[in-house]
Amino acid sequence: MEILSALIVLTLIKATPIIYAALGGVISERSGVINIGLEGMMAAGAFTAAIVSYATNAPLLGVLAGIVAGGLAGLVLAIAATRFKVDQIVAGTGINLICAGGAAYGLVLVFNQPGASKQVNALGPNYWVLVVLAFALAIALQWLLSRTPWGLRVRACGENPRSVAAAGLDPLALRTFAVTLSGALAGLGGAFLSIGELNLYSDGMTAGRGFIALAAVIFGRWNPLGATAASVVFGLFEALQYVLQGKISWLPADAMQALPYIAALIALAGVTGRVRAPASDGVPY
Amino acid sequence: MYRRALAAFLACVVSACALSGCARHRGPARGQLTLGMVTDVGGLGDQSFNDSAYRGLVTARENLGAYVQVLQSRSAADYQPNLNALTNLHYGMIYAIGFLMGLDLDSVAKDHPSQRYAIIDAVVDDPNVTSITFREQDGSFLAGALAAMVSTSHHIGFLGGADIPLIEKFEAGYSAGAREIDPSIRVDVKYAGSFDDVAAGKELANLMFNDGADIIFTAAGKVGLGAIEAAKARDGDFIIGVDSNQDGLAPGKVLTSMVKKVDVAVFDVAKSLRGGHPISGHVVFGLKDGAIGLTDFAYTKQYVGSERRARLDTIERAIVSGKIVPPDSRAALAGFKPVSL
Repeated sequence: MEILSALIVLTLIKATPIIYAALGGVISERSGVINIGLEGMMAAGAFTAAIVSYATNAPLLGVLAGIVAGGLAGLVLAIAATRFKVDQIVAGTGINLICAGGAAYGLVLVFNQPGASKQVNALGPNYWVLVVLAFALAIALQWLLSRTPWGLRVRACGENPRSVAAAGLDPLALRTFAVTLSGALAGLGGAFLSIGELNLYSDGMTAGRGFIALAAVIFGRWNPLGATAASVVFGLFEALQYVLQGKISWLPADAMQALPYIAALIALAGVTGRVRAPASDGVPY
Repeated sequence: MYRRALAAFLACVVSACALSGCARHRGPARGQLTLGMVTDVGGLGDQSFNDSAYRGLVTARENLGAYVQVLQSRSAADYQPNLNALTNLHYGMIYAIGFLMGLDLDSVAKDHPSQRYAIIDAVVDDPNVTSITFREQDGSFLAGALAAMVSTSHHIGFLGGADIPLIEKFEAGYSAGAREIDPSIRVDVKYAGSFDDVAAGKELANLMFNDGADIIFTAAGKVGLGAIEAAKARDGDFIIGVDSNQDGLAPGKVLTSMVKKVDVAVFDVAKSLRGGHPISGHVVFGLKDGAIGLTDFAYTKQYVGSERRARLDTIERAIVSGKIVPPDSRAALAGFKPVSL
């Protein structure tokens, strides 16, 4: 019983940053822009949140700054993808490199020590608010996308941007907003990592969660609630490997650690079945 | 047109200078001892292994007037390019920090037989490579013995980075040391599968603490920072730090640190280079060189009284004299029997 409750708590904690990033991925891809830069946007959010919390001693400001930083990184991708029609995969990869490198450099500038920040004020037990918020946002986003005119327009951008233009709207503006929002969500996920769960920023702390989130987007069939469920599944497998390690003696730790990735592979290869991405996903307009 | 082109050219030159910091940047002087270092993926700032090696270089800069350059590796794919980059600069000595770089260094060293290299924690059998290893199992044995003395739940934990032979030395030594004091003690072992996923360190440590372990020895680079974070929120539970002195990161919560003075080894090799008789081949640093050992309990004296310290000293002497041989693998641990002192 104790193991079960530990498992549930751990699953929620591990799922939360992935949910934020995955929601960001959903909104971006539904608008027609593949956001492979989620990992970097998370790093930007995590780093900025830690810095601002360090400077102001106000973790809440840190979280807001993390959202803004992720949003700015999203805006860069958005402008590259819409105004300049850059290949979205290349631009997203660039975002990942710039954010990781920029944070590494920023650590030296601000803390005069490479690798990891000093310990900063963190949310402490209040981080549960962010866990709950992740699920609330998932429901809100599902509603926004499927039940509001704005959601319809965003989805139309991802399917057939010409139809949006024909309706007298600007698909590029819609995409720009969606991708910026996507970055802001990923930034919030990053802030959760650095000053929610922990109290420092450390290079590489996002540890591939932005990419797992991309898998969750597909596993969840480009729906906010689906992607959230997928994130919870990945969180569960990560939690499972933590809990089970050392309890099953014949299974080596390495095999346990592969669990979340095996789950992602199986999800992508089989369980999801036939999936259909938005028709204009990744196609510049 | 001409003026615009000139202006553009000047702007490029100025910004290139600004970016590369050419106003202040100086290369090594002629005849200056040059030392290069390639970190492993843990990188600088791990408050642990790579930082310790870097301190050795800083000491060399201060005491030997050496010119020092560090290249950080973001992934294993960076090892060879980084090693090659320093090789092309013909540094006096190039340090490869970490077990993980063994194979890469071997191939680079074979291609450049006249360049001197040193590797920490691995044995690379090339004539131009100095291999430096440590008897981590000896210091870990002391850490395990201390943990068993201080634990009130007869249940302790070990948190490793990746399950590789190097980390196994810490695990085996620690478990054996604990059994030396308390043969029936329970030692939980978990691996994070990473040296930089700090969050994983926190969650894994919390799991072990919740299971009843009250002391966890970490050998996991930055992952250990997360474990220390977990201990801060708890009462009566401790972390034993590793590689560098981590006692001050959470005063009173880090029982001690099993320091591995990579800096001492790095500096010794640099000094021998200056002296004209470079240390070569495979050298092993251990308790008796002062390169391995526990810190001085600056914040945790109330848990480690003089009696326990005396007991630790006895064990340390027994290890140095060979009366106790701490196991360096799980296989050797299975055959370990507590020695009566």
